[in-house]
Amino acid sequence: MSATATVRQHENPSAAIKPQLRVLLVEDNPGDRDLILQELGKGEFDVISDVVQTAEEFRQRMKTNIPDVVLADYNLGQWRGMEALEILRSEGLDIPLILVSGAMGAVTAVECLKQGVTDYVLKDSLSRLSVALRGALKDKEARQERNRNQQALAGKVEELARSNADLEQFAYVASHDLQEPLRMVSAYTQLLAERYRGKLDEQADKYISYAVDGAARMQSLIQDLLAFSRVGRQETALKITDCNEIVGESMRDLQAAILESRASVTHGALPRVMASGTQLKQVFQNLIGNALKFRRSDPPVIHISAERKGPDWIFSVADNGIGISAEHAESIFVIFNRLHTRTEYPGNGIGLAISKKIIERHGGTIQALPNPVGGTIFRFTLPAGKMAKKQDPA
Amino acid sequence: MMAGTSEILLVDDNPADLDLTIDALAQSSWPSRVNTVSDGAEAIAYLRHEGIYSTASRPHLILLDLNLPRKDGRAVLADVKTDPSLRRIPVVIFSTSQAAKDIERSYELGANSYVSKPPTLGEWVSAVKLMKDFWIGCACLPREEQND
Repeated sequence: MSATATVRQHENPSAAIKPQLRVLLVEDNPGDRDLILQELGKGEFDVISDVVQTAEEFRQRMKTNIPDVVLADYNLGQWRGMEALEILRSEGLDIPLILVSGAMGAVTAVECLKQGVTDYVLKDSLSRLSVALRGALKDKEARQERNRNQQALAGKVEELARSNADLEQFAYVASHDLQEPLRMVSAYTQLLAERYRGKLDEQADKYISYAVDGAARMQSLIQDLLAFSRVGRQETALKITDCNEIVGESMRDLQAAILESRASVTHGALPRVMASGTQLKQVFQNLIGNALKFRRSDPPVIHISAERKGPDWIFSVADNGIGISAEHAESIFVIFNRLHTRTEYPGNGIGLAISKKIIERHGGTIQALPNPVGGTIFRFTLPAGKMAKKQDPA
Repeated sequence: MMAGTSEILLVDDNPADLDLTIDALAQSSWPSRVNTVSDGAEAIAYLRHEGIYSTASRPHLILLDLNLPRKDGRAVLADVKTDPSLRRIPVVIFSTSQAAKDIERSYELGANSYVSKPPTLGEWVSAVKLMKDFWIGCACLPREEQND
């Protein structure tokens, strides 16, 4: 038993060394002052105290020597303890203020706490002072910790936004400035191909055709990079947008591909959402276009639907195509990421990256899921917003 | 439409683009003589017959790039379109830029049309041919302004 007691002492060294605490007492009554100071001496803190009487003195002190805690008499004759709280606020100081009062009704006490006083102690029960001090300090620490975290988070968010903006600007400038020299390469290799085919030798013709292909591919990549960065640079003006119309327009634009593949594209009742119509159309076009492109041998069957879930609309574009394995479900949204060779399926791998960016800019998310009956379901959310009730499709 | 040989002035600092344009202009059947200058200040000197350009002929059509050394294409355009003796000459802006503000500004300054340089050889050749066929072969061009 005695061994346990010894260990405990080691565990709690604060029992031996009291933590320091600078207390400023705002008190005009010498008797009360002495009582409070005496009580402070008894507690768990090594108190360094100081006393001020007038509001002017208090204000002055807050500019020079800032304490850990303020103990203020509620009624100070010339002024009131609550005014000390206002002074703290006007100085932008986050210091706990404990009111000490001869008598205080419950209603007044609650009102003071509401206004931001940390605690109050009645003069006839000063023994509660140390509890109040401990609570006040704990409060302050927690508040400071929260503030630090919030600031750190805000800093990170700002940093991220800035680095995203930088990246978009970079992509834009780079791709813009790359176009001109690339056009030279492209035009002159094409000119070589046109005018010197068969005049050099077979190897030369082959080399030239590689150069022409490479330049053409580079040009289309740069166009896509520009389109991608444009989504981030554009102001997204959100308007009430009828998704039935948007999907209809997308289907009209894709009509040739739909007819060619003998696809059946249908949609259920779709809601109206707050969106940029042009951008949302781009998303539907990309998703329907993908479903047409990545098909099996039988004609594509594509269905678009929407359902309400909590604050969001969930849109689904389901197909019966070749499907996407789970391991690729995320990487397909990365710019220029492709799962197939260009000969199997042409394209740069930009459509889904742009779609993701658009959906995220609208406050939604997008993902690819396996379709239980085979194929893929692209599912994305858009906030239903305040116009939700009226426009319920059902 | 132009009778006889037309004079075309190309203003571009990129020799590769100049060559490509000259090549494309030659593919249009309208007879023309092409002159080139490679910056904005030279273009103005050419048009005002200054220095080595004292005997330069007045162009019937100007193809003007926007981003040019010494004097910017926009400034050249502004000068031409505010000069009573030059403002009737059709000026076609031929620039890589597709920026809305470049296009709008050019028309505000009095450009007669704005063509952005196409990315591929085929489109380039057909764009330049179209420009020449329209301005030289189809459009009625004004006479030089007389001080009478």
